Amino acid sequence: MALNLDRRHFLGLAGAGAGAAALAACGGPSTGATTATSGAADIDFSGVKPAASIDFWTNHPGKSQDVEKAIIEKFQAKFPEIKVNLVTAGANYEEIAQKFQTSQAAKTDLPGLVVLSDVWWFRYYTNGNIIPLDGLIKQLDIKVDDFQKSLVADYKYADKQWALPYGRSTPLFYYNKDHFKAAGLPDRAPKTWQEFGEWAPKLKASSGAQYAYMYPALAGYAGWNMQNNLWGWGGSWSNGWDFNCDSTESVAALQWAQDSIYKDKWAGVSSKNAADDFSAGIASTTISSTGDLLGVLKSAKFNVGVGFLPGGPKNESPVCPTGGAGLGIPSGVSKEVQLAAATFLKFMTEPENTAAFSAATGYMPTRTSADMGAVLAKTPQIKTAMDQLAVTRVQDNARVFLPGADQEMAKSAAKILTQQGDVKAAMTELKATLEGIYTKDVKPKLKS
Amino acid sequence: MTKLLLDSPAATAAAVTPDQRRGRWSARTRRDFIVFLALALPNLALIAVFTYLPLINNMYYSTLDWTLGSVSATVVGFDNYINFFTSTDAPKVLGTTAVFTVVTVGGSMVLGLLVALALNSKVRGTTFARSAVFAPYVLSGVGVGLVWLFIFDPGYGVLAWLLRGIGQQSPQWINDPQLSLVMVITVYVWKNLGYCAVVYLAGLQSLPRDVMEAASLDGANGFRRFINMSVPLLSPTTFFLLITTMLSSLQAFDLIRIMTPLGNGTSTLIYEAYLQAFGAYNRAGYSAAISVVLFAILLIITVLQLRFVERKVHYS
Repeated sequence: MALNLDRRHFLGLAGAGAGAAALAACGGPSTGATTATSGAADIDFSGVKPAASIDFWTNHPGKSQDVEKAIIEKFQAKFPEIKVNLVTAGANYEEIAQKFQTSQAAKTDLPGLVVLSDVWWFRYYTNGNIIPLDGLIKQLDIKVDDFQKSLVADYKYADKQWALPYGRSTPLFYYNKDHFKAAGLPDRAPKTWQEFGEWAPKLKASSGAQYAYMYPALAGYAGWNMQNNLWGWGGSWSNGWDFNCDSTESVAALQWAQDSIYKDKWAGVSSKNAADDFSAGIASTTISSTGDLLGVLKSAKFNVGVGFLPGGPKNESPVCPTGGAGLGIPSGVSKEVQLAAATFLKFMTEPENTAAFSAATGYMPTRTSADMGAVLAKTPQIKTAMDQLAVTRVQDNARVFLPGADQEMAKSAAKILTQQGDVKAAMTELKATLEGIYTKDVKPKLKS
Repeated sequence: MTKLLLDSPAATAAAVTPDQRRGRWSARTRRDFIVFLALALPNLALIAVFTYLPLINNMYYSTLDWTLGSVSATVVGFDNYINFFTSTDAPKVLGTTAVFTVVTVGGSMVLGLLVALALNSKVRGTTFARSAVFAPYVLSGVGVGLVWLFIFDPGYGVLAWLLRGIGQQSPQWINDPQLSLVMVITVYVWKNLGYCAVVYLAGLQSLPRDVMEAASLDGANGFRRFINMSVPLLSPTTFFLLITTMLSSLQAFDLIRIMTPLGNGTSTLIYEAYLQAFGAYNRAGYSAAISVVLFAILLIITVLQLRFVERKVHYS
């Protein structure tokens, strides 16, 4: 049979071959009957010799590349037999997760230690991608009791410890002290959003900024930040596994947020990064991570104030979620690599190193014994973040345990805050979506 | 007459040697075939390994309930396809894909043709203008996306600054899903019209001069010559561009990824496939099903274009 592969047919074949190769480049799964979760049994590391080299995958949270390098250099001096390769595995938590998940599928090139955010570690657990650290904690005598209790508890599931806290943060209320002074406002964060609602028109009138308040970028972590608004009004994304984002309280909180943009016209929504908008003087106030603190202090050309997150009409406290990232060890690498990684993890989270990390980024120190004297003398604003830790609240299950929930929350927030969509309808739709994700992707994998 | 006899079926049959009748190849034919294999096989092997094997694997993955990162999966048959087509997202994704493809293909081709007409004129500076028009096409999509994001930024972008100068607020280009689509389409057309312009320019410069001059002598003005002569004679170029730009538009990824990472309002089929697998959801099987749907659409469009559109193409 003659095959006339002329230009036109070649174009046809090009069309036929295009489009569906990305996923297929990965290795495939086995089609067994059971779904994998990380093994709960302790791994025996007795007699195991640490590997000579490990990769540390990080996104350098809070622009921490330099301090991470410095800590690694100190580690190399103490443990010359273990080489740590610092790998920039993404620009944010999502990109690092993407690389990690893809490597799991490809079954190759996994790191020894990986940065995992609050919304990703549980998925790694359900996929069987990380090991419990309990055995290593015992063998290496990692002082878990010295960590901030609530931060360690965030990574506990099925009586096992799946990660340890690293670059941990809370949202902070950032305000432009100069604008506050010009508006005749007290030099502090508002106690409630209602109080800020009274301040905002004065701020906008006197500051010259485009907005009195800038809502965080929806493409960032809207689901994380907006828990503050929901909790203040007595609502939430979910209560346990009851998805109550369409409750009267939740709807009222988001309606107030919408009104601040469209009715009262003193608030805006950041397009990329609220901390950058605030630093550039576009808004007089915003909410952003403590991990942005050092960056804001460096780039702002005005006096920066920080304070606790405002409460709402129902709750003044606790209305602040914790967030940020921990460190975990993959299951798909050898015991030697796991042991070397745990040795580095222990070193990375030691009190002096967590203090150095905090000093460089603004993230909270994860160890209670970390000497923060020098750090706080230089950057006293970090103290606010540390103090706020005492009034934080565990995040809603819907945000941290449901794959893709953060994205769905951001889309719903976009409908409400950028398209003036009906709040109740948006939340009802979100509830149905969250319930669908829970039923399909989470419920079957939960331990009873 | 002799030639006609030689070309006739009877003559051809008579010229066939006994070996050929028995299906045996001559030494020369065998040698040619070996050369053909030596040249073609490496390429065929690469295409098989890097295009068709993944394609087949992808089709298999589309029948699995597979969470990316999980080592195990469950066979679910066509459930992923059913879930996609019955989801509330399917009409949005297909609609966005259609709008993005039609507007970017149409925009790039129409503007490309207009630019080509301008560049085809004999005025000073056309060489520089050609380079300037084509340059965005060869620039990195990531770089282009980042720069345009700064231009569109409603807070401190150039566009917002200009609008503030005339007392206007910037639209929410990035947060508003509908405006996001307009923004991405605008940048995509800007980046790709240079390609269409250069291909059209080559087409314009190869038009037969005698035919165009004859039309002039017959009294056809510039517009009539363009509509009645240039456009039909450019149909092979138009057909080529239609296929290539449509294929690339349906697979546009970099600009969408950089400018609208959440795909809020800009989630075309290929971006939805990416988000479902590599974004927050990790639904690898579901994503594979969307990829197969995209593949089917590409195949159908290409076949339809080859079968029906090409019939209207005028090859000079």
